[in-house]
Amino acid sequence: MTFESHGRSVVALDRISLQVHAGEFLCVVGPSGSGKSTLLRVVAGLHRQSVGEVRIEADRPGTPLTAMVFQEHALLPWRTVRDNVTFGLENRGVARGEREARAREMLAMVGLARFAQYYPHQLSGGMKQRVGIARALANDPEVLLMDEPLAALDAQTRAIMQEELLRIWATLGKTVVYVTHSLEEALLLGDRVVLLTARPGRVSHIYPVDLGRPRGLEVRASPVYGALLETIWSRLREEVVRAIAADRGADSGAVRE
Amino acid sequence: MSAAGRRLADRWIAIASPIALLAVWEWASATGLLRTAFFPRPSTIAVHLRDLALDGTLWGHLATTLARIGWSFSLAAVLGVAVGLAMGLWRRLREGLDPVFAAIYPIPSVLFLPLASFLVPPGEIALVVTTAVTSFFLVAFTTTHGVRQIDRLVVEAARHYGAGGWRLFAAVLLPGALPYIFSGLRLGLGFALIVVVAVEIVSASRGLGALLWLSWQVLKVEDMYATFFVIALLGALLSYGLAALRARLLPWVPDVGER
Repeated sequence: MTFESHGRSVVALDRISLQVHAGEFLCVVGPSGSGKSTLLRVVAGLHRQSVGEVRIEADRPGTPLTAMVFQEHALLPWRTVRDNVTFGLENRGVARGEREARAREMLAMVGLARFAQYYPHQLSGGMKQRVGIARALANDPEVLLMDEPLAALDAQTRAIMQEELLRIWATLGKTVVYVTHSLEEALLLGDRVVLLTARPGRVSHIYPVDLGRPRGLEVRASPVYGALLETIWSRLREEVVRAIAADRGADSGAVRE
Repeated sequence: MSAAGRRLADRWIAIASPIALLAVWEWASATGLLRTAFFPRPSTIAVHLRDLALDGTLWGHLATTLARIGWSFSLAAVLGVAVGLAMGLWRRLREGLDPVFAAIYPIPSVLFLPLASFLVPPGEIALVVTTAVTSFFLVAFTTTHGVRQIDRLVVEAARHYGAGGWRLFAAVLLPGALPYIFSGLRLGLGFALIVVVAVEIVSASRGLGALLWLSWQVLKVEDMYATFFVIALLGALLSYGLAALRARLLPWVPDVGER
């Protein structure tokens, strides 16, 4: 995967080979600029990769392969909560009755049944992101993609949303690829955690998270959690240091030119 | 103070300030501080305004001006929105037209009257076209900007959820630009009034501008002020009317009532 940046092409992702199991909750972590989001965007079809392929197994024609929950929610401000949720269905020509039934169901699931007629600007950050999740789920994709969906929220709201996400995932059994910069979040949510290297992003390690299900915030007290966090963090730390060193090198190089 | 109380206070100020101005004027003219030959008392002007209204003179001129504004503004709005959308969507078109627009836009609109008279039948049509020019540019500018300022992430999300082509335009780009289009229309309507009065002063025998100019030339100063008042009131009503329409049609724009 290469990128055009200031007229030079930059290799963002390199030799990524990754298999996601059906129904799995896969978390992707890595230093800033490791191409976590790019990876997700390639899977979503928002970026065309220069080399390689993304394959998604699907047996339900008419439903999309992926649906993305964006970091900044990216709701349409001129549509009500309900009409944001039905947007994808509308574009695919799903009948009105079915659209609205689906929206009701999804909004109930994310706890926003009473807010169907509100506009996004009338909602808090956490509520907007709930709408973003309902919008993605309403499309019933094969793979749910989440790009740091809780990063912009305050700590308390984030903790509540993490538990909600676990509940929803347990109910629907969707395959999820979840990008985050928080190791704690990855360990709380994921079945496996993929660590990417500094740019160009490669798969450094894949860690299975043997913490059992159902999982809640109390896992943070378990010794397995602590040990895993320590292992991944020491690895991630190396990558972050490498990324910072690489940035410094690039800077001094630019000065010398 | 509560929010409702503050809003009431704002309204009160909006009504009280013009009344206070008129009161000071009344007092200054009555005591001879202002010469009544040039600054007649507002109460005298009100009597003249009533007479103009009662003998029908005012309504004829008002109807003429309103019809001209209606035609000019419609012309400017339709063309301005269409051209503005096209410029917002296609970079090449925007880069080509920008310098031309930048050069033509600052020319005082009245100066287009002779040009318009060469291009279209002189008289009423030339007058309407001239009046439309500045409004057209205002609407086109704001519409272009309205399309350009739409959050790219929102457009990307809309595409991701399957909106493309006509659907992307109708469900995303057009509504995304609408708040700006409305601002442009409001400005354009205001300028249509300004220009139509100016053009009527220069070239027409009917309309509020003509009435104002005629009154001045025969030194009917009170009638001139009465016409002034009608024009000012008309401007305020058109502006507030469009703002109210915007609040109704665009409920998703935050705090639209306060702006």
